[in-house]
Amino acid sequence: MLRLAATLALLLAALAIGVLADRPLPPADFTLINRGDVTTLDVQRMSWMQDLRIAAALWEPLVRNDVFSHEYRKVPAVAESWSVSPDGRTYTFRLRADARWSNGQPVRSSDFRYAWRRGLLPETAGDYTNFYGLFSGAAEWARWRSEAQQQFARQSAGRPRPREAEALWRETLDRYERDVGVRCPDDRTLMVELERPVPYFLEILAFEAMLPVYPPAIDACTVIDPVTAMARVDTAWTKPPNLVTNGPFMLTSWRFKRDMRLERNPFYWNAAAISVDAINIPSVSDPNASVLAFQTGAVDWVSDVTPDYRGDMVRAKRQYQAEHAELYRTLLRQGLDPVAIDRRMPPDPRQNIHVFPAFGTYFYNFNCAPNLADGRPNPFADRRVRRAFALAVNKQVVADTIRRLEEPVARTLIPPGSLDGYASPDGLPCAPDPAAIDQARRLLAEAGYPDGRGFITVEILFNKDGGHDLIAQSIKKDWERNLGVSVVLQQKEIKVFRADLKQRNYMISRAGWFGDFGDPTTFLEINRTGDGNNDRAFSSPEFDALLAAAEIEPDAAARSRILAQAERLLVEVEVPFIPIHHYNQVYLFNPHRLSGISPHPRQKQSLFRADILGDGKGADTPLELPLRPVLPAPPAPAVPTGSANR
Amino acid sequence: MIAMIVRRLALLPVILLVVYTVTLTLVWLVPGDPLEKSEGRRPPAEVVAAMQRQYNLDSFPAFYGSYLANATGWSWLRDTITGDARLQAEAAVAAGRTPPARRVFDLGPSFQYDDRRVNEIIASGLPVSITIGAAAIVIALVIGLASGVIAAARPGSWIDLASLTVSLVGISLPSFVIGTAVLLVFPVALGWGRVAAWGGLTDVLWPALTLSLPYAAYIARLTRMGMLEVLSSDYIRTARAKGAGEARVLLRHALKNAFLPVLSYLGPAAAGAMTGSFVVEKVFNVPGLGQHFVNAVLNADRFLIIGVVLVYATLLILFNLAVDVLYRWADPRIE
Repeated sequence: MLRLAATLALLLAALAIGVLADRPLPPADFTLINRGDVTTLDVQRMSWMQDLRIAAALWEPLVRNDVFSHEYRKVPAVAESWSVSPDGRTYTFRLRADARWSNGQPVRSSDFRYAWRRGLLPETAGDYTNFYGLFSGAAEWARWRSEAQQQFARQSAGRPRPREAEALWRETLDRYERDVGVRCPDDRTLMVELERPVPYFLEILAFEAMLPVYPPAIDACTVIDPVTAMARVDTAWTKPPNLVTNGPFMLTSWRFKRDMRLERNPFYWNAAAISVDAINIPSVSDPNASVLAFQTGAVDWVSDVTPDYRGDMVRAKRQYQAEHAELYRTLLRQGLDPVAIDRRMPPDPRQNIHVFPAFGTYFYNFNCAPNLADGRPNPFADRRVRRAFALAVNKQVVADTIRRLEEPVARTLIPPGSLDGYASPDGLPCAPDPAAIDQARRLLAEAGYPDGRGFITVEILFNKDGGHDLIAQSIKKDWERNLGVSVVLQQKEIKVFRADLKQRNYMISRAGWFGDFGDPTTFLEINRTGDGNNDRAFSSPEFDALLAAAEIEPDAAARSRILAQAERLLVEVEVPFIPIHHYNQVYLFNPHRLSGISPHPRQKQSLFRADILGDGKGADTPLELPLRPVLPAPPAPAVPTGSANR
Repeated sequence: MIAMIVRRLALLPVILLVVYTVTLTLVWLVPGDPLEKSEGRRPPAEVVAAMQRQYNLDSFPAFYGSYLANATGWSWLRDTITGDARLQAEAAVAAGRTPPARRVFDLGPSFQYDDRRVNEIIASGLPVSITIGAAAIVIALVIGLASGVIAAARPGSWIDLASLTVSLVGISLPSFVIGTAVLLVFPVALGWGRVAAWGGLTDVLWPALTLSLPYAAYIARLTRMGMLEVLSSDYIRTARAKGAGEARVLLRHALKNAFLPVLSYLGPAAAGAMTGSFVVEKVFNVPGLGQHFVNAVLNADRFLIIGVVLVYATLLILFNLAVDVLYRWADPRIE
């Protein structure tokens, strides 16, 4: 017995030493909990918001968005200047002489060309391949590569042919240099020729998928598969100490499911602009643990607050603002951004929660295909039916009693006010407006279903978790009451849900979309006929024609009008989806201590602008959006109404 | 004894092959596309096709064979013997690139964490889970044996009743309740330990305590039952008649035999505790293996599911073997 216990204790001690040797990170100036664990730091393959956010701190694009300007102004980054040809198809960038990789090597124009080639390669399998397809000859080149490589695989029939595979790879690289419109006359000049003029091309360049990579690090991890001729890249290059980046920070530690540490890139050209020396990013997946970690002072910023009680935290803040109503209203009238207002009010822990509009919309998809997956004729192929269903939804109830995050009811796909110079259409009214309900009934009768008679049982498809079930129940009630149809709910696991959407195996489904770059097309394109993200199987020649017309319209204002017309067609006439609400983003940080988190509705964050106020490092003056006076009388902050409806 | 160990170890690969076959079949039957992301943009169709080809996701037999070849080290061995690996390295060097790094046992990539191989994920999570699990089993043994012996010494007394109550609570309260309570009381209210951190002694203690309670409760009941049975047997009466003290009777004579049912329970219990608990890991933010059991399935992350199931199966088999060995050593009557 004793011997057994001794052996066990010894084993335990050995294990404990093993784990304890795994020391926690040294403290950092700035600690944040990211939206989720980083899934990849391969910039050409990433698509998750948490990945993009870290990439933006580690790398630097040619041009970047100033997140503390209302119009998201493009500012020089690696490119110190650029020019555009009169036809809008050729961009010439001049790279700054002092741009350096974190190992001291200069950033060359060919590093961008290399990165974009990677992005275009079919085997890289990134989500944003379409961006690289904007270069002249690029799509053609990718198609050729895909076919050549498949033919190679067929010919080798399982037998390795290393020399031939290398030869095909060589040819692939040669053809890219010859045929694709990205050229490097010298190390500091990058010339980009586009397939067609793209007015928002600089916006795309500011997007993380267009970041450069350090070629030697990736070459060292690349293998040309001798059987399939595919270039396979071992992801070891994305982890320290192999990862070489050109941004304000470099990655010094990344332990899976534990933490990440960013430290200043000693070779960064604009070191004076950075106010923190190190950033720690612990990996915390539990919503409640994140809030506790903030409250115990372990983290400075929780970038996605998701516990059930967050609505109560928001109401506590409104209560606090009501207690200082006079001051609050005065500050609001001055046109200050919400965090700037917080800083001018007496400090209180209730201030730490922040609700900012996000660049995204929650909506319900209609399957617009002529037939349902089981072959039955699809009543939602008729736009009168779609409009009737859209008119009959009480969106306010969803926003106020289910989401409870002060999110605005949506009538459009693009959050109004998020894009400077874009005037959103009005969209349709909705229940409980009696006129909307009347119109809905009339439309349904016109379509051949008076009072919902003869209508098939409607199925709403949604994924588990995230509260989608409550929203679906509310909408089901609206449709049953207002239209007289019967509705059933279908809940599925997220992957099954996504697969069903792709195969159009549904009638109506929940959906959400966040914009990637600052142009209306980032939302509108998903409704183009045949688009990979057109889950609705929606096809309108008129809509496609408007998008095509916008593509070739040189004048920005006229183009904006065309796109607004296209959105109007979507949300008022064709209605392939029902906008329900625009998203809000909920953050947790002390506004008197932390600066650099932008309240801009586009919700991109530049971590290098973070500054711990009063620590004697960096500027120590808060960053704020320029004043934008509020024209209409500001609404008084809502006083909490005690226990919330749930 | 040696023959038994050798026989059981020889059987290990066969059992694992069966587990692998069954798991892969189930994983293949589960609806949902592993290449579909849970939100955001979809990659273009040709990209999806390229990934399908790369990972053999379009064919069950091809996937079955290639995974087996990579995971068992067969591919590595084959390429080394046939010289394909050398040829490929030479071709890479001739093209001016570094020859590829080769893995002997390759459990494949994770679809959920694009930058991580399943090898890495298991290597990072398993030691953590084993430490917490081992600590939990030790705590469970201490609490369980102590309360079981005390309860059996005075059956029907208030101590027995209290032990029963605590056991019932330990078994029936879900760990997310116990875990949250422990988290709120110790690190948050009393400041003993840290929230959502890993690397210190208390960071191990609180999750291990939470994890141990159901096991402790079970061990307590097993011990009490065994003790009551043993205490009414002849040799205990003999020991008492010989004038042995109560403590000596309980701990030396009775517990030795009463411990046997606990020992046989320890095998599966240790394997279960050491492969991690989803809930405990989530509440205390422990970077262990348990979370992957649930998340990998939800994400249809095929390579990761098979990887963690095989690890669990291996541990289960090894711990059962260890228990059987200990059993024979503790009780020579068993052959």
